[in-house]
Amino acid sequence: MGLAAGRADPAWHAGITRVLKGWVNVTAVEASTTGVRSIEAEAVPTRFARGWHCLGLSGRFKDGKPHTVNAFGQKLVVFQSGDGGLNVLDAYCRHMGADLSRGTIKGDELACPFHDWRWGGDGRCKKIPYARRVPLRARTAAWTTMEQDGLLFVWNDPEGNPPQPEVAIPRIEGAGRDDWTDWVWQEIVVETNCREVMDNVVDMAHFFYVHYSFPTYFKNIFEGHVATQIMKGLSRPDARPPGKGPRMLGNTSVASYHGPSFMIDDLTYHYDDMDLKSVLINAHYPIDGNSFMLHSGIIVQHSDKLPGESAEAMAHKLGEFILKGFDQDVEIWKHKTRIDNPLLCEEDGPVYQLRRWYEQFYVDVADVRPEMVERFEFELDTTRPVEAWKQEVEANLARRAAAAGRQA
Amino acid sequence: MTIRADDRLLDGAPMRPLCCLRCGAGVEVRKASWEQTSVQWSAQALGACLERQAARAADGGAGGLFEGCTALRESIVRAALEGAIPVPED
Ligand code: FES
Ligand SMILES: [Fe+2]
Repeated sequence: MGLAAGRADPAWHAGITRVLKGWVNVTAVEASTTGVRSIEAEAVPTRFARGWHCLGLSGRFKDGKPHTVNAFGQKLVVFQSGDGGLNVLDAYCRHMGADLSRGTIKGDELACPFHDWRWGGDGRCKKIPYARRVPLRARTAAWTTMEQDGLLFVWNDPEGNPPQPEVAIPRIEGAGRDDWTDWVWQEIVVETNCREVMDNVVDMAHFFYVHYSFPTYFKNIFEGHVATQIMKGLSRPDARPPGKGPRMLGNTSVASYHGPSFMIDDLTYHYDDMDLKSVLINAHYPIDGNSFMLHSGIIVQHSDKLPGESAEAMAHKLGEFILKGFDQDVEIWKHKTRIDNPLLCEEDGPVYQLRRWYEQFYVDVADVRPEMVERFEFELDTTRPVEAWKQEVEANLARRAAAAGRQA
Repeated sequence: MTIRADDRLLDGAPMRPLCCLRCGAGVEVRKASWEQTSVQWSAQALGACLERQAARAADGGAGGLFEGCTALRESIVRAALEGAIPVPED
C-alpha cells in the first residue's frame, strides 16, 4: 500500500490510532501491592564479542603513520605495510613495553619508538637493528584484518580462532560505485556498555518517543549470526519542520546486524515526488566494558531528481540527521542504568529474544546453544486493515482447498 | 550474561505449537494482538518450509534475508480465526 493512499483509508487509520493510543496514553498499570519491581543487572561481561568489528574508513589509516585504536579493553596499533595491507597489532612492544602506535613505519614493518625493534603485520619481530639475532618468543598479538567497500574490519575472537566464512560481512552494492555518493562517515565515543546500542534493534516504541518517527510496520528476524529489523514508518507531521521543498512522507528500512557489531541498513526515504535510496551503516566496537566507539556511515544513490552533487549534499544532510538520532539515543544512554530484567508490556519488541541471540557472541563456539541461533520472528503490522486481511486469507485458503479437492 | 525468560510468556499467553497447513513445519506461535505475531522456528521446521527452500535455491544459497513464509502466515491467521491461537481483544 502506498503511504499516501494509506492516510485516507479509514480502516487503516483506525489501526494506526489504536497503536498510537497505546503509545501515547499509556494507562498506569497498578504495581502489585506485594512488592516493588527491582532492577537487576549483572556486571558487564569480561570478554568481548566474537566477530568482525569495523574500525571505520580504511583510507584514514593509509597516511603512512601508525594509528592508535583503543578496542577490546586494549590498546591496538593499525599500520599499513609496504604491500599496502592494513595490519593490527597489540600496541605494546614486547621488548620493554613502549607504545608502537607512537613509532614509525619503516618499509614493511612498524618500528618501535623506544629501541627500534621492527614488527611485522603477522606479529613477529623481524629485526632488531642493534642485535645479531632476534630472540625466541619475539611475537606479539596480531589481529586478522579485512578491507572491503572502503572499510577496515578486525576480527575479534577470545578463543583465538580464525574467522569462519559463514560470518563474512556481505558486500555493499552501492559502495565505491559512480552512481552512488562516497561514504559520509562519523564516529562518536559513547560512555556505556555496547549492549545498549543493540537493544535498538527491537525497541519499537523508542523510535516514536526518542526519534519522532512513527513505525506502522515492524519486524525482527533473528537467525544464525544475523539479527534483522524491518521497519516502515511515517514521518510525524508534528515533528516535521514546516516549509517548502519535497515533503518526506516516511521511510522503509531493512537493517541487519551481521554478527555482534556491524549493521547494514537498506534505507529508502519516501518523498511526495521521489524515492531516495541509501545505505546506512551502524557499527561499533567496544573500547572497554563501559564504553564503545559508535560509527555511522551513509551512501546515497544518484537519481534523475538527485544527480551527482545534490546527492552528495543530501548524503551530508542525512548524515547529520542520523547523527542527531544518535545524539538522542546517547542522551538516554548516558543517564540510564543497565537492566537485565526490563519490564515489558505487550506492545514492546522482543528484547529478551534479542539478548538471547546476542549471547552467542559472548560464549565459546562450543557453547553456542540452538536457542541462541534458531530463527525467531516478531512482527507488528498495522498497515493492513485486520478485516480485509482476514477476508483475503479466508479466500486464499478456500481457493487452495478447492484446488486440493480437484487434485484428489 | 545469563539468558533470561520473557515474563510476558509466563504472565500472558505462552508460545503455542502450530503446523503449517502447506508444508507441515511445526513451529511455536504467539499473538499479542491481531497486529502482532511471534514465531519460534526450529532447525527442523526451517528445513521443512517450502518457501524457504525456494528462496534459498533462488539466491544460490547466498543466505540472503528470508522475510518469512506466506503459507505459515496464512496458517497462523486461520488458527487465530478458529481460536487455536488465542488473540487478546482490546
Ligand atoms: S620497547 Fe620497543 S624496542 Fe624497546
Ligand atoms: Fe535509537
